[in-house]
Amino acid sequence: MNFKKPTTFKKSAISALIAPLLISGGFLALSSNVYANDSEELEKLRALVQELDQKVRVLDRKGEIAAEEAAAKKKETPVLVAGDKGFALKSADGNFEYALKGLFQLDYRDFQDDGITNTNQAEGFTARRIRPTFQGTLFGKYDFRFTPEFGEAVNRAQDNGNSSRVIDAYVDARFQPYFKVRAGKFKPYVGLERLQGGGDIKFIERSYVSNNILPNRDLGVAVYGDVLDSKLTYALGATNGVADGSEGTTLLDTNDDKDYAARIFATPFKGSDSVLEGLGIGIAATYGDSKGVASTGLAGGYKTPGVAATNFFTLNAAVVGDGQRTRWTPQAYYYNGPFGLITEYAKVSNDVRRGANRGEFESDAWQVAGSWLLTGETASFKGVKPKNAFETGKDGWGAWELVARYQQQEIDSEAFAGTGATQFASRTTSAKSAKTWGGGINWYLNQWVKVAVNYEQTSFENGGGGTALNPKDRDDEKVLLSRLQFQF
Amino acid sequence: MKTFFLSLSALVLALANPVAATAAEVTLLNVSYDPTRELYQDYNAAFAKYWLAKTGDKVTVKASHGGSGKQGRAIIDGLEADVATLALAYDIDAIHEKARLIPKDWQKRLPNNSSPYTSTIVFLVRKGNPKGIKDWDDLVKPGVSVITPNPKTSGGARWNYLAAWAYAQRHNGNDEAKTKQFLSKLFKNVPVLDSGARGSTTTFVERGIGDVAISWENEAFLALKELGPDKFELVVPSISILAEPPVTVIDKVVDKRKTRAVATAYLEYLYSEEGQELAAKNYYRPRLEAVAKKYEKQFPKVNLVNIDDEFGGWQKAQKTHFADGGTFDEIYQK
Repeated sequence: MNFKKPTTFKKSAISALIAPLLISGGFLALSSNVYANDSEELEKLRALVQELDQKVRVLDRKGEIAAEEAAAKKKETPVLVAGDKGFALKSADGNFEYALKGLFQLDYRDFQDDGITNTNQAEGFTARRIRPTFQGTLFGKYDFRFTPEFGEAVNRAQDNGNSSRVIDAYVDARFQPYFKVRAGKFKPYVGLERLQGGGDIKFIERSYVSNNILPNRDLGVAVYGDVLDSKLTYALGATNGVADGSEGTTLLDTNDDKDYAARIFATPFKGSDSVLEGLGIGIAATYGDSKGVASTGLAGGYKTPGVAATNFFTLNAAVVGDGQRTRWTPQAYYYNGPFGLITEYAKVSNDVRRGANRGEFESDAWQVAGSWLLTGETASFKGVKPKNAFETGKDGWGAWELVARYQQQEIDSEAFAGTGATQFASRTTSAKSAKTWGGGINWYLNQWVKVAVNYEQTSFENGGGGTALNPKDRDDEKVLLSRLQFQF
Repeated sequence: MKTFFLSLSALVLALANPVAATAAEVTLLNVSYDPTRELYQDYNAAFAKYWLAKTGDKVTVKASHGGSGKQGRAIIDGLEADVATLALAYDIDAIHEKARLIPKDWQKRLPNNSSPYTSTIVFLVRKGNPKGIKDWDDLVKPGVSVITPNPKTSGGARWNYLAAWAYAQRHNGNDEAKTKQFLSKLFKNVPVLDSGARGSTTTFVERGIGDVAISWENEAFLALKELGPDKFELVVPSISILAEPPVTVIDKVVDKRKTRAVATAYLEYLYSEEGQELAAKNYYRPRLEAVAKKYEKQFPKVNLVNIDDEFGGWQKAQKTHFADGGTFDEIYQK
């Protein structure tokens, strides 16, 4: 222990204040009775000063104790945060947190049909995503997220629209950075663009890779973590299994077999000065047995970039799973200054049958998408925070970003082999391939509000229209998509 | 399928418990009361040396100090203490009662009711004892300023209160009303209530407030050692109380952290000759006879009452005096 020397009359600042009192008191005493050099009087004054000194010291000490208690209490008082990242209530030690977040997207779709009589290209407003999220942390290591979806359903053709549902409901246990467990309904660790937040994606709609081949969300459990100084992430998961590009329900699985997913993703130059600092590259795969699964659980329908009411490819309703289903997807991104690039490839192979016709149904897709921030912000896998937010009457114009993408999807010829009574898909309702180029502009008014406009033009080849006797290619899809997004 | 989930479960269990029992480096947290800082600073170093020599493992003991009651509550609220070394048994009993982190009979696990050292309560006065304080009845005189911490938060303060109570009972023919009057007068003379014993020492020694501090004996000796007998004097009252600060491992924590063996050894070593020597050097009264004899002259002879005989144990004493509506609430006017 190092006790400090006690403060004395001479040293005490308080006493210094009192000293003039003593002097003036003494002076008054002397002036009142200049001849009475009475030691008794001086003793009284001394006692008075000592008493006053004690009182001041006590007041001082009480102030000190009150300050200590206030500081201690502050450490225990929960913190209410209402700021640019939403609302949160946190325990003082940070071990508990409850946060409310939200994502709202109002879209307008305008198909440039040029007189094409394609009735499925309905135009108009749609609330693409309405997602309040309640998330938080318990005991410092258990995270939870609960997100209902009140916006447009994944695919109007399947769900008749407006299917309110739980889109995310999971718990994360962060035992170690290299060992975490997630359980519930979540995005399986497979597709790169799928793992980007719905409010952070560069285009209004994700690519064929995400929307048509790789799983969207599924029910199950995953083990994941970061190793090698967070330069390598891995994930292993087991889920019920979903149709290509689809989102699982919260219901019991339709068969006994599960889908298994594995993914590794490396950012080898992370934290370095290299121009490759923003490079990430990885590969993921899923494996499952789809025996007995109905066609809607295999490839329920491949969507167009404009999410037209009729998909550009649909398996015949009589097709069922007949064996193993595998998907694999190499993937990469690169970010350097204002420039961003994301690319991925995915292929699905599924043993199927229609009656006695057995075969392997295969489809693959890929995309390359680039982005350029015109206003000097740094691009990343996550959202954009403008350097100068847009405010009327002020200089800032927010962040502006140009985006461009090419994507295509191809279905293997075997899907169309055979007769109308045996083939897996009909050329009159399904095209063999879709090729799309698109471009757009994103305006981030601030970190919460975004306005986006995309134009995407798709050509469909080898089917998708006409009649059984005279099949022809589905008409090109030219769609202007626009979005107003609020996210906090 | 079953194999997959069994394997996954095994992996979860294996990786979720990364601190292996054979870890070569172990960290312990000792949650203690206010005036034990110096004791455990010395003791932690000695134990680390002992443990390294015995097992080859490196142990680092972190310590947390504060008012005993507050420290006990912190453990109940989730502070992961491997061991608790608090001022009184009641604060450790509460860890069993409110959080079930230890068994009910925790006090039977180590010798001397799990109290490896004892202490008592004395007075610290300023040099020359200007107010002429000799015994408890001097503390209730008008104009005497008394420093003692808050019994609601400080274990030391509760020992102080009970020692004063025992004196008053004896001098008032066990008339409880008069005893309460005595305590009421005493606390009217207390200008500042610190939350812990160390805070009270600071108030008296460093801030120069008060004529007398009711203090742990070890704390009073330490102040004398640090600042010299030219500043303060120690006064032994005619009656005081035998304070038995207890220790325990926190079972749920050590089992979770796989530290039971080292935590138990840490407390057992307090009873060893070296542990007892360190206690005595830091002015705690040792239990080991040989060490007690060696330091006999260091400690004044005091007429001591004990908590069980005088107050029926800590549970009863707490309920009667310090729980909400107890005698302290009755006599203390804010």
